[in-house]
Amino acid sequence: MSENNNASTAPGVPVEDPTPFGWLTTADHKRTGRLFIVCSVLYLVLGTVLDLLVRLDLTSATEFVTLSSDSFAQGFAFSREALTLLFIIPAFLGVSMYIVPLQIGASNLAFPRAATASFWTWKVSAVVLIGAYLGNGGPYGGWANGVDLHLLALSGLVVALLLGAISVATTIMTMRSPGLYMDETPPFTWSSLVSASMLVVSLPVLLGQIAIIYVDHRYGRVFLFGNYGVWERIDWIHRTPQLFIYVVPVLGVAAEIVLANARRRVIEPLAMYFTIGLVGLFGFGAWTNFAITGEGADIIDGVEGVVLVALYGGALLGTLGLLGLLGLAVIQNRKLPKISTSLLAAFAAGTLILVGALVGFIGAAVDWLEIAGRGNDGNPQLRMTTWVTGQQSVLIYGAGLLGLLAAIHWWAPKIWGRQLNELLGLLNFLAIGAGALLAFVGPTLSGLLTEQPDFVYADPNATAVYSGWIDDSGAEGLSAIGAAGVALLIAGAGLLLLNLLISVGLKKGLQADDDPWGALSPEWMLPSPPPIGEADDLPMLTSGTPLLDSTDSEEVTA
Amino acid sequence: MSDTTPALTTPALASGRPQRPRTQLVATGFACAAISMMMAGALGFYMARRHASGPHPGSDWLDGLAVPNPQFDYALLTLGASMITAHWALWASRRQDTAHAWTAIATTLLLGLGFVNMVMYSLNRMGVEIGAGEYQNLAFATTGLALAVVVVGLLYLGLMGLRSLGGSVGQQGSTAFGAAVFFWDFAALVWTVTWFTVYVVK
Repeated sequence: MSENNNASTAPGVPVEDPTPFGWLTTADHKRTGRLFIVCSVLYLVLGTVLDLLVRLDLTSATEFVTLSSDSFAQGFAFSREALTLLFIIPAFLGVSMYIVPLQIGASNLAFPRAATASFWTWKVSAVVLIGAYLGNGGPYGGWANGVDLHLLALSGLVVALLLGAISVATTIMTMRSPGLYMDETPPFTWSSLVSASMLVVSLPVLLGQIAIIYVDHRYGRVFLFGNYGVWERIDWIHRTPQLFIYVVPVLGVAAEIVLANARRRVIEPLAMYFTIGLVGLFGFGAWTNFAITGEGADIIDGVEGVVLVALYGGALLGTLGLLGLLGLAVIQNRKLPKISTSLLAAFAAGTLILVGALVGFIGAAVDWLEIAGRGNDGNPQLRMTTWVTGQQSVLIYGAGLLGLLAAIHWWAPKIWGRQLNELLGLLNFLAIGAGALLAFVGPTLSGLLTEQPDFVYADPNATAVYSGWIDDSGAEGLSAIGAAGVALLIAGAGLLLLNLLISVGLKKGLQADDDPWGALSPEWMLPSPPPIGEADDLPMLTSGTPLLDSTDSEEVTA
Repeated sequence: MSDTTPALTTPALASGRPQRPRTQLVATGFACAAISMMMAGALGFYMARRHASGPHPGSDWLDGLAVPNPQFDYALLTLGASMITAHWALWASRRQDTAHAWTAIATTLLLGLGFVNMVMYSLNRMGVEIGAGEYQNLAFATTGLALAVVVVGLLYLGLMGLRSLGGSVGQQGSTAFGAAVFFWDFAALVWTVTWFTVYVVK
């Protein structure tokens, strides 16, 4: 990876070791950010492959196509954990670690070594997690020590991500350039603060639960039914509304890219901060473990129904408000922005968050109001069907992966000093966009029309569920549509890695100047890429759009 | 901000680094928020199980165990006393009063260790045996988490106290020690809530 190591370092600041060993001991936010981004994309491929195997199994209601009756449940659980804890959270944490200090004029993260420790703890925990699954551990695993190992690995992942989130949030709170007030920060920085803060108050709930699950599973299995009692208590971190917290940075990415292309400030900055904050706030999903899942509340009604509808409604309004503000900025510009991979992906990702919120809102309302007899006479509520898988797909694959594609294409010049290949990028956008849509439509329709169960909530024993669930109403075809979508997504993730290899690894991408997009925010004042190590000269910022301010100032002078 | 103010619009570079005295305090605040939610998750789990354990929760919930209240009360008083000495240490360190600060930090650490010892003794006396029943497992996990927070607080306090009094970090060190004292107060609160939930309300 290309690096500019000619930093003018401050006195007392250790010079970064340029050798590979330096990546292990780095105290530079840019290296830590890059490590998180690249590794999380690799784990995305792994999680998506497992998701494909699971979905292929769902194409037959009577027999297992790819996995066995023993490994199906574990494959299901691993794919969910890989897509959240190994992909979407760390990927955007990595982008935040790289970009946020540059956007606020800070020399580094608040605790750079803690950030590095967070990466390596995450990495080691991820390897242990995979090892636990390979050894027949994990939820529903047959190796008791492997189940315990899985719980320890999960704790390690959560602690690592919390450490990174605290580092990012503290940086934004305390290390902004003097004069850069919070209401002037660029939208991506604000969205990173919202997401990191919400991670800090939601993920630790899982830690507290894991402590109890671990003690009970390891010592006596008194009340949690051994390995069958694990998944239903930890699954809330892979479901909505919690998923909205993970995709909040996507809103920041979309705002950055759309506003820069429109060359406009948002018409009402406080409204933009409010809408992004609303999506994060209403994504707090830890309560659902107590109110809806976990200890046996099996039907959504009464207060839970109202709260769920309100949460999805809030996320829906927040996303809609932000997209409206961005649309106004484009209209103000009075000419269409130049089409690029980053712009297309950012627009699509923002729209798909809206779709995810809408699907959640409809599902919660249908369950709560018992529309079409949902929850009565043996009809499962939508939240117990693959409707939920559709929501996960549209938010993780649609919003998350497209948002990451937009962020990587947009900030590649700043991260690696080179622009990514635009043709490959457009193909990538098409593959991921089409894949995400198919992965979303298949299970959503299947859950709605055929009541195909989301197996965990119907019965933890996958074999019993799928042998007892006789499908004669088209679910197999709809599952095949979902599987085709996931196959396209694997191709999309592969294309992204290929583009990085060609444009950055083989240095075929265009060498970027400081501001190749004519962007607005402070990081584009710095060299591409900025030198590793802590620079002595820091930009003095008083605005989140200094480059636009310069243009305005020149126009006024002229 | 104004769009036409040249001083604000020039991407000027400024040498030097601003002081960041609040960084550690803010990070400690975030850590406290995270730990609060961790304990909320564990104690919420405890209460949900207690609620689901039968039509008359509490009737056989303790499985014949008797909570040694005096010992737990003394442990709590010890923790309260250590909070006072921790603030004494902070007060002294801000005034560069090394003798008082050393004495107060040592006393705080001693009281903290005494608290941990007292809790362990109380649990032994109570006869909480891991794996023996639902209450035992839940009490072991929740108490273990709260004790872990106290031990982390003790380590944090000791480390920051030594750094502060070592004099190598100046005014910022005093702020860092303030963050550690804040965390210690928070750890005491965590223990109090856990004790009240698991051993008083049961």
